[in-house]
Amino acid sequence: MSVENAIKYVHWFSRIPHLSSKEKLRLLEIFADEETIFTMKENRLKQHPKVAQRTKEILLAARKDTEWEREYDRFCQSGIRLIAYQDAEYPKRLTHIYNPPYCLYVKGRPLSEERKCFAVVGARACSSYGAAVAKEIGRQLTRAGVDVVSGLAAGIDAAAHAGALEAMTAGRTLDERAPGTMTAEAGPGGGLTGDGLAEVGIPVAVLGCGVDICYPAANRLLYQKLARAGSLVSEFPPGCAPKKYHFPMRNRILSGLSDGVIVVEARERSGSLITADLSLEQGKAVYAVPGRISDSLSRGTNWLLSQGADVFCSVQEFLQEQGILQGENLAEGRKIEIPLEKNERLVYSVLDSTPKHFNFIVEETGLCLPQTAELLLRLRKRGCIQEIYQNYYIKISI
Amino acid sequence: MISTASVHGIASMIIQVEADVSNGMPSFEMVGVLSSEVREAKERIRAAIRNAGYLLPPKRITVNLCPADVRKSGAGFDLPIALAVLCAHGIVPPQKPGHTLFVGEITLNGALRPVRGVLPMALAARQAGIRAFVLPVENAREAAFVKELAVYPAADLSSVIKHLNGQTLPEFTTINIEETASDLSAGVDFSQISGQYTLRRACEIAASGMHNLLMVGPPGAGKTLAAQAIASILPPLNEEEMLELAGIYSVSGLFAERKKQLYRRPFRSPHNSVTKMALLGGGRIPRPGEISLAHKGILFLDELTEFERPLLEQLRQPLEERQIRLVRQAGTYCYPAEFVLVAAMNACGCGNFPDREKCTCTPRQIRQHLGKISRPLLDRVDLTIEVPKVTMADLLSHSENESSEQIRQRVIRAHEIQRKRFAGFKISCNSRMRAEFLRRFCPMSEGARKCLAEAYEELDLSARAYHRLIRVARTIADLDACEEILERHMTEALLYRSMDEAAYRSGV
Repeated sequence: MSVENAIKYVHWFSRIPHLSSKEKLRLLEIFADEETIFTMKENRLKQHPKVAQRTKEILLAARKDTEWEREYDRFCQSGIRLIAYQDAEYPKRLTHIYNPPYCLYVKGRPLSEERKCFAVVGARACSSYGAAVAKEIGRQLTRAGVDVVSGLAAGIDAAAHAGALEAMTAGRTLDERAPGTMTAEAGPGGGLTGDGLAEVGIPVAVLGCGVDICYPAANRLLYQKLARAGSLVSEFPPGCAPKKYHFPMRNRILSGLSDGVIVVEARERSGSLITADLSLEQGKAVYAVPGRISDSLSRGTNWLLSQGADVFCSVQEFLQEQGILQGENLAEGRKIEIPLEKNERLVYSVLDSTPKHFNFIVEETGLCLPQTAELLLRLRKRGCIQEIYQNYYIKISI
Repeated sequence: MISTASVHGIASMIIQVEADVSNGMPSFEMVGVLSSEVREAKERIRAAIRNAGYLLPPKRITVNLCPADVRKSGAGFDLPIALAVLCAHGIVPPQKPGHTLFVGEITLNGALRPVRGVLPMALAARQAGIRAFVLPVENAREAAFVKELAVYPAADLSSVIKHLNGQTLPEFTTINIEETASDLSAGVDFSQISGQYTLRRACEIAASGMHNLLMVGPPGAGKTLAAQAIASILPPLNEEEMLELAGIYSVSGLFAERKKQLYRRPFRSPHNSVTKMALLGGGRIPRPGEISLAHKGILFLDELTEFERPLLEQLRQPLEERQIRLVRQAGTYCYPAEFVLVAAMNACGCGNFPDREKCTCTPRQIRQHLGKISRPLLDRVDLTIEVPKVTMADLLSHSENESSEQIRQRVIRAHEIQRKRFAGFKISCNSRMRAEFLRRFCPMSEGARKCLAEAYEELDLSARAYHRLIRVARTIADLDACEEILERHMTEALLYRSMDEAAYRSGV
């Protein structure tokens, strides 16, 4: 039988419900491959001594199913790839975790194991500060050549993906500016650019549903960009709807794929802490971004810190600690001092990382309304501040 | 032949009433497409005439109201029908058609009760060349707006009979509109609102250019108070507008509400349980709805997200056309509805967003909450502001706030500039400018143009949002008495840009 055919049966086997990844992998130890299970005589399967009665029933029922083959053809055509446990492309990191996924469905770029890989996770209902931090982490890690993994949820996840994608596109424009300095195949994430810039990382999203489904729907734009420039990964077959219990399962892959987890904002007893726990179980680093003790959104991260998690104070330090950067300075335009005139500095000094309303700025600075509006616009254009919602501003810098 | 008038929409039409007495079976017949309240008039009239001291002989009475093809409704026909009957019996002398207009509802004992729509009737009478108007005492004030009419208020039927027999009623002359009507106070003053710089300023701009305004913020931020205060900074109505508005209130039977403050622009704030009929105008013979009662003034919709969505969608057309056309079987009724929409809402279900410490809503809930307001409606709102919670410092501050009176002076100046600018055009204020007007009346400095171009790129604005920004900047420049839109006007206009999805929801 051709290899192509064999992988078809992997899909059939993967979509069998009520069998865990672990049970599936065990069955593969008993039988040679999935095709054998599908094609062997019914009586032989029924009388097999090593298989439990329940499993036999499930397998026999699944063999009667006819939909899977068409399903397989359909998703293959739409560019989704299936990676079986035995495949070379299957991430080695995942084989080391407890209960590795039986197979992976990937949309977008293939997963790489050469680069470092970190997960950035956090609350869905995050603060604007948290979102800004996550975005900055996503951006800078990607620029430093780290693959940023997250879960495509709202809030921190989305911000981390957005930052990573931004760094990628910035990398691409650099490439375009210097044509001929690199080979045509080496896009972002491949080789060194002519400017001597290290390769950028690739954003990876691990989903709790089929990779052809965008959940939550609000992240559609992000989803499309990730499918083009990054990778979407899931152990659930295409078409599989998101279920509540999928997400803790997704989290084990999320931490399994990465060298460590960075928790940006988390409430007490939240899902992000589960990911951190899994990461510890898998023997990986856990970083937490410290927060004010009064913020409920920092309770979880501060708790992690008190339990011995590494503190994430700046991207620079983190990269040095992880040996990604050796003492050298990260090429960074943001930190350069921008000369500000007196009033601009006055307005700038009033702001910090929590959103401040326009009225607050007027009150603190004592400037008149039109003048403040003008100064804020000027600062915004220079990239010093950001209007996070209408009439609310924050300082940009980490 | 007795002249009277019926109301159709906010217009009125002269109706003639005639009666005939003949031998035959005693009866009282009325013809001429009458609604039930007009038909019931015969019982009231019979009793009223007897109680006025006249005995009608048992004969066949036929009353005709013409033109016969117009449906007559309303209680104002009691008096003219009674007079026509008395005329036919020779109790009052025959009336020259088109000399005097009679309107009034009659009670069983002969007293006259007020009716709706007297002002449009008086205007119609003037057009028809009628010189005198006999009507219930309570309505005298409305009719007296029409200076060409001699207004005779009457208390009961017998005084009208005496009037026609030579014992003339005293004419109503004590009309001095200025003394009471020039009062513009709204009960709420801007001096009561502390801090909230953007809110105060946005209200001023909204009043100056008659821009629609949306306030988004947590409960207790002062949104409702500010909306009420806007009414206090609007310029007074001019003569023509005042009459038009008085007419709308007259046909709605609400004239008494406006009697004290005729020149003040109306402020209507229907509760969010309002029905379609009440908001837009309705009924088999439609009466003006809240949007028409807010004509030339403010329609305030508090808790915008709590209004039924289809209801809000139906506001779109009146917001564009500045009037509402209600089509019914009995005809088409067109009511003016040139109002400024002022709306207030919370940013999320619990009201505390963007304060993440307090807000317990999920991003999805917030999106759903904001999604209750449709894009097309938001597109028609020129000014949107986030209203933050009032700070402790604001509450404690003793600094003098600017009063409505002071703000109103600036608003009036801005209106004056606009009136001059649009003289000879159909529009009267900046918010009504269409694209071709924008090119013509909004010269921009190089800085402003650059600022706008950059914002267009950066914020990914739609063409509509682009035009909105120019309109608002135009008003800000007018407040500054500046012919050209300068950069500072444009930067300020950017503060009040619409709740565009990308920018607003990025933080969600």
